[in-house]
This record gives sequence, C-alpha cells and structure tokens, in this order.
Amino acid sequence: MAKAKADAIITIEGLGKRYGDFQALTDITMEVRRSEVVCVIGPSGSGKSTLLRCLNFLEVYDPGEVRMDGELIGWEEGSANPRKPLSGAKLRDQRKNIGMVFQQFNLWPHFSALQNVAEALIQVKKLPVKEAHALARAALEKVNLGDRTDSYPSGLSGGQQQRVAIARAIAMEPRVMLFDEPTSALDPELVGEVLNVMKELASEGMTMVVVTHEMGFAAHVADRVAFLDEGRLVCCVPPKEIFAREPADSRVRAFLQTYRERNVV
Amino acid sequence: MELDLFVRYGPALLHGFGVTVLCWIAGSIGGLVLGFAIACLYHWSGKWMRWALQVYIDAVRGSPFMIQLFILYYGGPYFGLTLDPVPAGILGFIVYGSPYFAEIFRSGFQSFPKGQLEAARSVGINEWAITRRIVLPQMLVSITAPLTNFIIILTKETAILSVVTVPELLSETQTMAAETFTYVEPFLALSLFYWFMVEFTSWLGKRVEARVTRHLKRA
Amino acid sequence: MTAGSAPANRKAGPAAMHFSFQVIFHNLPFLIDAAKWTIAISAVGMMIGMVLGVLVCAARISGPAWLRWAAGLYISFFRGVPLLVQLLLFYYMLPYVGLNLPAMVAAFTSMGMCSTAYVAEILRGSLQAIPRGQAEAAEALGIAPVALWRRILIPQALRIGLPSLVNELILLVKVSSLASVVGIGEITRVAENITGETFRPLEIYLAAAVIYLVINAILAQAGRAGERRLGIG
Repeated sequence: MAKAKADAIITIEGLGKRYGDFQALTDITMEVRRSEVVCVIGPSGSGKSTLLRCLNFLEVYDPGEVRMDGELIGWEEGSANPRKPLSGAKLRDQRKNIGMVFQQFNLWPHFSALQNVAEALIQVKKLPVKEAHALARAALEKVNLGDRTDSYPSGLSGGQQQRVAIARAIAMEPRVMLFDEPTSALDPELVGEVLNVMKELASEGMTMVVVTHEMGFAAHVADRVAFLDEGRLVCCVPPKEIFAREPADSRVRAFLQTYRERNVV
Repeated sequence: MELDLFVRYGPALLHGFGVTVLCWIAGSIGGLVLGFAIACLYHWSGKWMRWALQVYIDAVRGSPFMIQLFILYYGGPYFGLTLDPVPAGILGFIVYGSPYFAEIFRSGFQSFPKGQLEAARSVGINEWAITRRIVLPQMLVSITAPLTNFIIILTKETAILSVVTVPELLSETQTMAAETFTYVEPFLALSLFYWFMVEFTSWLGKRVEARVTRHLKRA
Repeated sequence: MTAGSAPANRKAGPAAMHFSFQVIFHNLPFLIDAAKWTIAISAVGMMIGMVLGVLVCAARISGPAWLRWAAGLYISFFRGVPLLVQLLLFYYMLPYVGLNLPAMVAAFTSMGMCSTAYVAEILRGSLQAIPRGQAEAAEALGIAPVALWRRILIPQALRIGLPSLVNELILLVKVSSLASVVGIGEITRVAENITGETFRPLEIYLAAAVIYLVINAILAQAGRAGERRLGIG
C-alpha cells in the first residue's frame, strides 16, 4: 500500500557526489517518510556512508537535491550556475534538526557524559546551564546511562560511549536521526545494547536512516531497506522482499550470499 | 637606503657569512660526533656513567648558550683553555649541540624494535655486527628528520656567537651599522637574509631526508 | 651594543688558576636578584605567546586564504630569524618609527612575538593530533566554529601540547639571556657587570649557569607534575 507523498520528510532527487575522478554516488532518488526506519546496506565502497553524510551536508553533494520538510539542505534555494552553498549560520540552523551518530562515537574526551550531551544545548540552543544539564540527564536516562552521567568517555565501554553519543544527538530533539554504522566499531557483545536503544527510538516514532551491516536489525526493525552498489541505488523495498525470499536483483543476491556464508550461526 | 653601503661593506659581510657557515658546519659535525659518542657510551655503560652523562646533558640543556660561550671564552684561560674567538665558537657549538644530538641518537636506539634484535641474536649474530648491519642503517633513517631539524636550528644559533666577538654575520652587520649610523636597514636586511637562509636550508633538509630515506628504507 | 664585557686581561696567568668560592658567595645575592628580570621576561613572553599564539594558529588553520598565508608568513619569519637579530631589530626600529620606549619594551615585544610563532606551531601540531571526528560531531550538532574552538579544540590542544609548551617556556628562560645585549639587567647582564669588577669570569658565569639550571629544573618538574595531573605522558 503506497503511502502518500505528503508523508515524506526527506526527499532525495538525482543526488550525485564525486571525489576527483571517482564517482561515489550517481543519480540517487528516494524518499524517507515520517517515522520510518530506512536501513542502507551494501558492499563496502558502495557509497552508503557518503549518501548518509550528504543528508546533513557533511559531504557536499552535487548535482541533485536533498530536502527536509521541503527545505533544500546545504544549498541556497534558487541559486544556480553555480549553486551557492548556504552560509555557515544557516547550515548550522538546518543541522539542529538532524541528529547524527558516528561509527567512532566522536565523544569529546575532556567532557563527562553529561557535559557531552549538554554542550550543544548550551552552545546551539543557548539554554541556561541548569536547564541543559537537566535535559541532558533525561536523555542519558533514556539510553539507560542515568547512573554514569559524571563518567568520562575513557571510563566507559564502547557500547556505553555510543549510547552517550545517541543521547547527545537526541537531546537536541531532531526530526531525523542519521546513524553511520553505529555498531561497526563495537565488540560483538556490546552491539546489542546499542541496537536496543535504536529499536526503542524507532518504536517511539523517530525517523531514522541507518547505514549498517547488522542484517538482523535491517530485517526486523527497518520499514524499508535501501541497497546501494557502486554508488547507485539498486532498490529500496520492505525487508521481507530481500530477506524472506530470494531478492530480485542479482547484486543483492550476491551480497546477501557472502553475508550468509560468513554469518552462519 | 644607499646601496653603495652594502658594496663597501660587501667583503666584510661576505667574510662574516663565511665564518657563520664555517662555525655552523664544524659545530654540527663535531656535535654529531660527540653526541653519538655520548649516546653509545650511555647505551653500553652502567649506572654511574649514565648518571654522569645525564648530569652533563641536563647541565648543557638547562643553561643558556650565551653563558656557555662566556664560560669557555672568558673563563677558559682560568682553567688552561685559551682560545681565539672562532675556535671558541666552534667548541661552544660542539658542547651546546652534543646533548641534543645525544638525545636524538638515544631515542633512536631506544625506539628500535626489540623483536629484530631478538631475531638476530637467536640466529647467533654478534652484537657489533647487529649494531652495524641491522640497527644503524634503519636508525639513521628514523632519526634523519629530528637531526636535520636541529641542524637547521643551529644555523640561527650562530648569531649568538657574536657575543664572544666571533666575526660572523651578525657581528659584521653590527660593525657596519655602528660605523655608518644606519641601524634599521642593515638589521632588516640581515633579518631577511637569515630568514631566507633558514627557509633554504629547511627545503634542502627536506630533500636530503627524502633522498636518504629512499636509499636506506627497505620495507 | 654587543655584550661580553671582557676583562681586559684574558690571558690569565697561573696566579689566577685557583677557583674562588668566596667570589661566588659574595655576589650570589646580586645574581639571584637579577633572576626576577629573567623570570619576568620569560613569563611575559610566554603569556603573550599563548594568547597571540592561539589567534595566529587559528588564523593559520581556519581563516580565509589570505589570512592563512599571512599567518604562515608570520610564523615562518619569527621562527626563521634568530631571536638575537629580532631583538636588535626591534631595539633599533622602535625609535625609528617614532616610539621612544625603553629597551625593556623591545625585549618584551620581541620575546612575545617570537614565542607567538613557536606556540602557534606547537598548537598546530597538537590540533592535528585531535581526531577529525570530534569536530565533525560538533558540526553535525550545529555548533558554531568559535564555540568549537573555544570549548573543544583549544582545551584539548593545550593538554596535548603541554610538554612542548613547557619546553618552550624553558627555552624562553634560556634566551632571556639575550636581553643582556640591549642592557636589561637580568642574570647574564648582572653577571657580566660583576665579572667586569671582579675579573673572575669562570666563577661568576658558572654561578649564573647554576641559577638558570635551578629555574629550569623547577619548571621541568612543574611541567611533569602538570602532565601527570592531566593524565598525559
């Protein structure tokens, strides 16, 4: 049953990205609907992270358009030949509404967990320190780290650090959360606690775009799975079309085959 | 600014530059040799020798070059060492630079991967051959950068030799300035000259590094 | 204006061969009193260097192209020209541009400007050691560049660069001796004066060297303690 176009929160049209001679992304067109969880999968080098990072303009995409709630991300609306990038201040404004979680956590080591989460609230939303700390505490509670607010990243496990990173992003109350291989840098036994937090976020209706190798997560939590290969979008379909039966496309089949071979439990 | 000023003093300035280069090269080579000797001595001796060497290193590194030059040049005669300015300057350089070079060599020794030494010993190669054939070639590659770095720093330190009347470039410039009552132009020109010299030797140093590491590095 | 008030008689005969501790003890108070100028010059030089060094470093790394070039030029000049030459240049230049300020100003200025260049380079190296992801996380959250620098990058750069910065301070203490050349009454100058009166250069200059060593040893210790407290090195 097709959802109405009006439900789309992110629309991507004709997106491309080049690094010198290398075409990282070609002609990506897709949308992400409100409260939807889209998992982006594919072989390494296929451009998954690049695509994700284009969504909040950490990578400068060209050509194409990324719009969130209709607003063009990164470029000045109406500018052409050549397009003008948004000023720093306007871009930062847009990024307030997009949360990002990185593979390497990227916590600030000289701040405690609480300070990490509160920093953007103080610097960007200009909240008074007390209020920021209260909100930060709440966010850390949400990721089950309410008792570790004063710990420093060096005193936290990888899974805990990543959960702090998630708290840091959700404390800003973004409309969309982007996850760039959030569990790839974690020891296997720590992956579960992070995925659980992500599942909870999803169940609360957060719109999420997740680049991941965790096929279990993609199969069970995603509303749709986007498969990228060599910078092109092969398909973006509900998970059961890929996981429950033989995928239609041969590239997807090949990818899942090697995956299954390596991951037979 | 009158250019004939520079023409008149040209020979003196050139001579001063020559002295600068002489002290720099002689001092660097002497410092390298002494520093290497200290590092080797440190590496292969016991607690007391190491302590004594460390005292020497700390004393020289912790006191100003100028004071060291004064001790050697003005204080020297009082313990039997009467030197002319240029030899005193060169000796001062050697003494001043030796601890820095020693530290560079020492850290080169210490950071050498022990695994390679173990492998060589377990095959039965003797210590001196190990040092000569395995350690030194690789170590020289890894310390080339800090060595050239410090040698370039020494080019600037030559200016300090003027305080013990070594007739190097700064000293000649001061003479010229005092005799002609122009101060800003000569010193500005001198600054630019040193700047150029340091930039040039840095560039040269990078080329040397690249060349040396290419020849000695075997993956 | 060159330093080195040599005693007229450099070829000392055997009569002067004995080492006189008496001379040292008698003049030690004067040398130690002069140490306050040494410390003042180094401390002020370092403070100027830290403040301006951060600015020059920021300009070097993240300013518009012309500013980066200008900052690079500044750093290159003040690291390429010997400090003694810089000092003399400032000393002669100040009256030339109409500023008739005491020699002390020339000394402080050139020390400050020189250490600025070195601090800027130290900070640049330290900043490069910070994983890029930390800045990315800040960008993704919408944190502005000034806040990013002030709250995240500089604090960490200072921590990482602490050993080098302590080293720089020790270096400043040593090169403060050059201020003697423009007549500032710090340790080296006073030592020269005393030598001119007592004709015992060996004893006096050794004593001066020891005072410098003591100051630097204290700084090195403080530096190590600081590193331990911050948990680095």
